[in-house]
Amino acid sequence: MASLAAIVGVAPFSARASGVFRLGLTPVFLDNDIRVLNGLSASLSEATGFPIEFEQRRTYEEVTGLLLQGAVDAAWLCGFPYLQHIDTLSLLAVPVWRSRPLYQSYLIARDTDPADALEDVRGTVHAFSDPNSNSGYLMTVSDLIRMGETPGEFFRRSIFTYGHRNVVRAVADGLVRSGSVDGYVWEVLTTEEPELTRRTKVVSKSEWVGFPPFCARTDRLNELKIAEFKTALLNLDKLDSGRQALDLLQLDAMVDAGPELFEGIAARMRDLDALR
Amino acid sequence: MTPRLENISLSAKVLLVATGLMVLLGIAASQQVLSTLGRVQNDRIRELAAAHVEALSVALGPLVLRNDVWEVFDTLDRAASASGNRRAVFTAVSDATGRILAATDPFRAPVDSPFSELAQGAQELDQLDVSGAQGNMQLTAPLVYQGRLVGRVFSELDVSDLVSERVSVARLLLLWNAVATAGLALIGYFAMRRMLAPITLLAARMSETAGTPQPIPEHEVPPGDTEFSRLARTYNSMAVAVREKAEAERRLAERERFVSLGRLSSSLAHEINNPLGGLLNAADTIQTYAEKPEVVRKSAELLQRGLKHLRDVTRVTLEQNRTDRAGVPASPEDFEDLHLLIDPEIRRRSQQLVWEIEAGREALARVPSAQLRQILLNLLLNASTAAEPSGAVGLHVKQRKGELRLAVSDSGPGLSEAAEQRLLSSGTVPPGGGVGLRLVHDLVHHLDGSIEVSRNSGLNVIEVVLPYGQGTDA
Repeated sequence: MASLAAIVGVAPFSARASGVFRLGLTPVFLDNDIRVLNGLSASLSEATGFPIEFEQRRTYEEVTGLLLQGAVDAAWLCGFPYLQHIDTLSLLAVPVWRSRPLYQSYLIARDTDPADALEDVRGTVHAFSDPNSNSGYLMTVSDLIRMGETPGEFFRRSIFTYGHRNVVRAVADGLVRSGSVDGYVWEVLTTEEPELTRRTKVVSKSEWVGFPPFCARTDRLNELKIAEFKTALLNLDKLDSGRQALDLLQLDAMVDAGPELFEGIAARMRDLDALR
Repeated sequence: MTPRLENISLSAKVLLVATGLMVLLGIAASQQVLSTLGRVQNDRIRELAAAHVEALSVALGPLVLRNDVWEVFDTLDRAASASGNRRAVFTAVSDATGRILAATDPFRAPVDSPFSELAQGAQELDQLDVSGAQGNMQLTAPLVYQGRLVGRVFSELDVSDLVSERVSVARLLLLWNAVATAGLALIGYFAMRRMLAPITLLAARMSETAGTPQPIPEHEVPPGDTEFSRLARTYNSMAVAVREKAEAERRLAERERFVSLGRLSSSLAHEINNPLGGLLNAADTIQTYAEKPEVVRKSAELLQRGLKHLRDVTRVTLEQNRTDRAGVPASPEDFEDLHLLIDPEIRRRSQQLVWEIEAGREALARVPSAQLRQILLNLLLNASTAAEPSGAVGLHVKQRKGELRLAVSDSGPGLSEAAEQRLLSSGTVPPGGGVGLRLVHDLVHHLDGSIEVSRNSGLNVIEVVLPYGQGTDA
């Protein structure tokens, strides 16, 4: 079906043909909380004047692929995939959490675990969230590289759960000894699902780096829909529905930011590249 | 005191046997029900387990194939928390190399731990058996995906409901069997008692009066022509016959008393007749020589002596047959009387009589006179009859340690078997034999005495031992 569409020259998932704005998401970062998604969708639709539809995929790779293909108009990505495709992608807005557009990566373990540093979980099973996640993979892996280790050698086994919440579950339920998780997600979970995070503890926190941003293809930034969507994002906190949606996400607002915000992640990526 | 088995009544025995059989039947039926229930439960749990493994294979096959630890765990976790799947309380999945990929409780089965350790003792799917299970049972099965073995599944199934079902069925069966057996036993008991009532009645009648069974009154005889009514009628005619026989025996014994006297009559007649000639001669002499005082005096003396003798004989004869002698104690005079009675017979047969009485008056006084006389008269008459003419007859009376021993001996050929039986046995005996021997037996028996028969240096000795109490030996 896809090949047939390619032959006739029509992008198979093109969003341009309709008036609908498609936003790519992954459950890696956002949990499938229908209440949050509906609130965000309604608010953005109200601000832009056109309906917003979410395209959800399991991994960052898939969503990034959709964005690069043009199957979605914009996507809420992680700083890591954004930087991987910085030649093609541009920033639309960066969420502000606790007054700053920054977050951390947490290394977590079970609350009863004696570990208090990464070194203490050597030779155990570790949970990453996504191989293209900054907080759920890059941070820990680059820490290991700085220690002169590789994940394959340091951990007995590492698994991907494709969801920060899943990392917390895997640690809390004892499936793995430790996990790499988005600090923002872990903090949100402490209020949303305290019985889950209570069974985990933060072993170590990374430095503050750029919060997962909203991105679009650079070559489409001039499109009216994209521009209107960017404006809507940046003014979300000025709308009642927008503030409600932000409250549900425990975010303050969205701000315009440049690539330099993600320098910390870029530095980590360079460590990773050195390994490759 | 524990009742002995043979003393248990027939109705109780029948009831016990019937109850025992019912209990056995109950046990056998319960066993059957429980084993069927076990089979049904096994089929049920195998079907459930097969469905469980099948579902796991479908859901986890591709995930296990690519060693996706998280997805396997997530699937297991979601399946475990889904309502309606309460049977599987724990599940672990291994890869093809036998290492655990994930489990619903990773603490129990950590990632990469050996599956074989966990699955030790677990049952294979097609051999699942609930019977030995307490609450949970462990199952292991291959995880097949697209016809390929990709790993293994270990599950702990909660079968407590099946176990408790079995326990409650077993309890219900036990209770029901106990109630049914008790109920049927009770009904059986009353039915048996009712059915066996004629037997009980018969037994009661038979044991009511020892020796003389009483006939069952006509209104108590079971109606109709059943075996019980026939039995009752037969018993009644038997009871009447026994009573008539007892009456006949009593009359016979009565008669035997006179037989001995009859036997004496001829010798007594001689005893009276012999002096009569002399007496008449004396009377003639008195008439003829009335004027000769000396002759008259001598003849009168002769007459007086003869009449005295006649008086004694008459007295003894009368004495022997007096009916008011009951309770009169024996005395040495009784032996004198006996001697007087038997003497003519002995003399008539030209026999020798040895007469030794070594018992004191005090010892004799403890034995009733009438019975003693009757016993000895009969034995002495028999001895005289048994001994050949000019043979020997003897009576030896001694007292020994509270016993009076009366030994009657004769030189005859000894008692016939029938006669000995009449004398010694209490059972029914054929008619005939020694005269009055049965009477002797009965009299001795009533006096709590015993009879011994022996043969000693050519003499037959019948020794009657009559106890008269310890410490009274003079």
